Amino acid sequence: MKRPVGVLRFLGTNCDADILQAYEWLGCEAKYIWWADHFKIEDYCGFILPGGFSYGDYLRCGALAAHAPAMSDVRVAAEKGYPVLGICNGFQILCEAALLPGALTKNLSRQFQDQWVEVKSNLTGICKWDGKKNFKYKLPIAHSMGRFIAPGDVLKSLEDKNQIWLTYTKNPNGAMLDIAGICNVTGNVAALMPHPERAMKDWMGSSDGAHILGKLNS
Amino acid sequence: MKDFNKLLKHYRLSLSEYELIKKSLGRDLKPIEWPLFSALWSEHCSYKSTRVHLKNLYTKNKCVLQGPGENAGVIDIGMGEKVAFKMESHNHPSFIEPTQGAATGVGGILRDIFTMGARPMASMNYLCFGASNNNLTPKLLTNVVKGIGGYGNCVGVPTVNGQTTFHESYNNNILVNAFSLGLYQKGEEIFYGKASGAGNLIVYAGAATGRDGVHGAAMASESFDEDSEKKKPNVQIGDPFFEKLLIEACLEVMHKNLVVGLQDMGAAGLTSSTFEMASRAGTGLKIDLKKIPLREPDITPEEILLSESQERMVLIVEPKNINEVIKVFKKWDLECSEIGEITNGHLVELYWGDELLTEISHKPLVDEAPKYNRAFKKPEPSPVEEINIKLKNDVKTEVLKLLSHHHLTTREWIYTQYDQQVGAKTMYACDDYVAQLVLPQTERVLGMALGCRPLMMQWDVSCGAKDSIILPVLQMASRGVKALAVTDCLNFGNPEKEKIMGQFVEALESMNEACRQFDTPVISGNVSLYNETLGENIIPTPATAVVGIKEKVNTFPKPYVEKEGLEIYLVGLKDEKLWQGEWNYLNGMKPKGEGFVNLKDCVSLQKCFLQLSEFTSASQVIGRLGLLRALARLTEKDHKNLNEKDLGVGLEINFNEEGRGEETSLFCERFYSALWCVEPRYSEKLEKIVLEHKNLKFKKIGISKGSTLKFNEHFEINLKDLNNALKRGLSEITLE
Repeated sequence: MKRPVGVLRFLGTNCDADILQAYEWLGCEAKYIWWADHFKIEDYCGFILPGGFSYGDYLRCGALAAHAPAMSDVRVAAEKGYPVLGICNGFQILCEAALLPGALTKNLSRQFQDQWVEVKSNLTGICKWDGKKNFKYKLPIAHSMGRFIAPGDVLKSLEDKNQIWLTYTKNPNGAMLDIAGICNVTGNVAALMPHPERAMKDWMGSSDGAHILGKLNS
Repeated sequence: MKDFNKLLKHYRLSLSEYELIKKSLGRDLKPIEWPLFSALWSEHCSYKSTRVHLKNLYTKNKCVLQGPGENAGVIDIGMGEKVAFKMESHNHPSFIEPTQGAATGVGGILRDIFTMGARPMASMNYLCFGASNNNLTPKLLTNVVKGIGGYGNCVGVPTVNGQTTFHESYNNNILVNAFSLGLYQKGEEIFYGKASGAGNLIVYAGAATGRDGVHGAAMASESFDEDSEKKKPNVQIGDPFFEKLLIEACLEVMHKNLVVGLQDMGAAGLTSSTFEMASRAGTGLKIDLKKIPLREPDITPEEILLSESQERMVLIVEPKNINEVIKVFKKWDLECSEIGEITNGHLVELYWGDELLTEISHKPLVDEAPKYNRAFKKPEPSPVEEINIKLKNDVKTEVLKLLSHHHLTTREWIYTQYDQQVGAKTMYACDDYVAQLVLPQTERVLGMALGCRPLMMQWDVSCGAKDSIILPVLQMASRGVKALAVTDCLNFGNPEKEKIMGQFVEALESMNEACRQFDTPVISGNVSLYNETLGENIIPTPATAVVGIKEKVNTFPKPYVEKEGLEIYLVGLKDEKLWQGEWNYLNGMKPKGEGFVNLKDCVSLQKCFLQLSEFTSASQVIGRLGLLRALARLTEKDHKNLNEKDLGVGLEINFNEEGRGEETSLFCERFYSALWCVEPRYSEKLEKIVLEHKNLKFKKIGISKGSTLKFNEHFEINLKDLNNALKRGLSEITLE
């Protein structure tokens, strides 16, 4: 039997149920993992850190969640090559946990932005969560701290090692190099600011998100 | 004597009310009882000026499971699913402290929903600000939006619809009305705010009690004066993260069946929640105020009783379940503590440690709260007038000028600051007049829309109040959504003035008549009076929210045209009336109109629209600025369509009305008509359906074509200019 997807639940996570729903639509089992619990890595086929406002975004977005007990197991899973995906706040958490480089800062507009964007996947990218190479995904964003930044050498390294997964075709938040999503050097740990779980059905406006979340099912 | 008058003023009780209390108690008030009566007898908690009228509301039909009187109303939407919803005002606090006032408005209404056992699924807001030239408007607009977004986004409930009006009548008294709706999945139960079962424990859960919001309910029951600024400490401070935890913890104890009843501490905090719960259940209570978790150690019992600190709940728990309840709250990192127990009888005993502060029945406080049948004088109906619009300017310039006016431009600046998709159920949100969310379990669509046009209320209270139901019901029908029930937020001025009370009575009766005709009962709501500053009363504003259902997931009819070659029809009442509202207002004149319509005809129109929605491609009900704006909106492209080369689809319209100039036809509002766009193969079907209703008419007025909006030989505007006008936005009246 196929193992379920593990969906991390921190205090203040609010897209957790949406991820469960998305996997139900994909015909794949998904289970919550509570932030305070340690878990058996082998029980899952991969891990998702959903969006939301973990710990109310207090201190810094994702900073507190990055130190939750369950995250130490996620770290081991990441090292072992398990697929790990952070979405929105999940991206911020993975950066704070140093599982991904860079940081997410206030949008240039200085406002929360809810809008649809187009993000293009890198033709030569190594991201294992990418459903389609060189593809333009239509997905919604909803964040105020979504501007990706990193020092010049880190950006260069991301480029050189093909870790840039997704770039905005029209940059909404001032992210450096138009970055919407990146992955680690081995490609198994990835994150993006847009919400694939909100683009699962045509009635939502797009079903492109299924190409990303569906990677765990393929 | 002077001190006594000061006491009355401080507790906002009148001399006659004081006499009434003394008579009812058979003795004088103890110090601790003053704040109790002040809060529970306030207009905000007791509805003392309006109860005699509210009891006449149409509140029941077969789908209503819970009507007014509980934390929120609940309806059965079929297939085992139920929804709870309610709308509430937070006007006074939002004027004093816009960010926190609006935020806690959202927080409060969310608690009313999940308290009933339903998971909050969508929020909407109805906002009225002063005129753009009022120097307070930019600050209030910017910060109210920040407050709503900041709270809703963080708790993870999407904000899916809104209505924003600017009018000088709200210069010194803005309206912030928040709506929320929650869903019960199959098998989930309704919970009530009842303190039943002697021996059961009263449990306090959530945030600790601070001094914020003390006297908030009484403040909301008063007119404003120059000193409003001083009332800032009365405004509550919200914490959406805490609320999110509270939602999860409360739903978990409810789903595990660990609580008997629960209620949030809203207006008048602990006082109203406990006394109302005891009153509903017909029980007594014993509470030790020393056991309340406090933010500051020196808070007095009186402040504890009146604090409106946010994110706090009262739970009634059977002793055998208390440990399990504490465990669930602990899991969510929340404190919860036992503060008392339910007793037989009707006495509420308030202790401070061992000291009995008072022992008082909830009856005089809740059931015997005064009920006033205030004198009222109904407003005169507005006269029937001839309408005629003739432009002085070049028509093209005028069209672009009007569409880009901040009264009519899209509210994108506002709603892009709201998370509209969290929950992953959103099909249409703030960019259309009806929000549509998909219910994944039963594959249906829940629709919701807001009503009440202040300009219409200013023109004629009765017509405006009917319109606050008719328009949203028709808008929903134009998307294939059948309206089921209503919640309202009745914002009025000072009820002690005959004229204002008359507006209230007239508005309520008219709105109610419309609800009866459409069979959409009012299941919950709120009355906000004393919207008066320095003797100036607001336009009577009975804001409404209508909720309905569409039985299958279908994105049609869309709010915009997506292809060329569609035929455009105008479908409306035979007895259609035109109204010169928005155009007159924007040109510095009072609105005038040809009169109003028959409600029965509007019901036929709703039926017809629902039938048409099954096979048509796009539709727009004619709303503000008449045909012109509806046509312009049809040419807009889908905001989810990111192809920049795509500019939307143009329309070529040929429309002349007998006895009316083209400009009158274009700019006047219509009671009631809608534009319908159909594939030519369905034209005959459309015509046949309309003709089946003897009180309705149709006219084929054009075709979708090209990349301009062309109206007769009168004007032709390219879509790019039209779109820029519509999207000009609000940036010039915001702080950013």
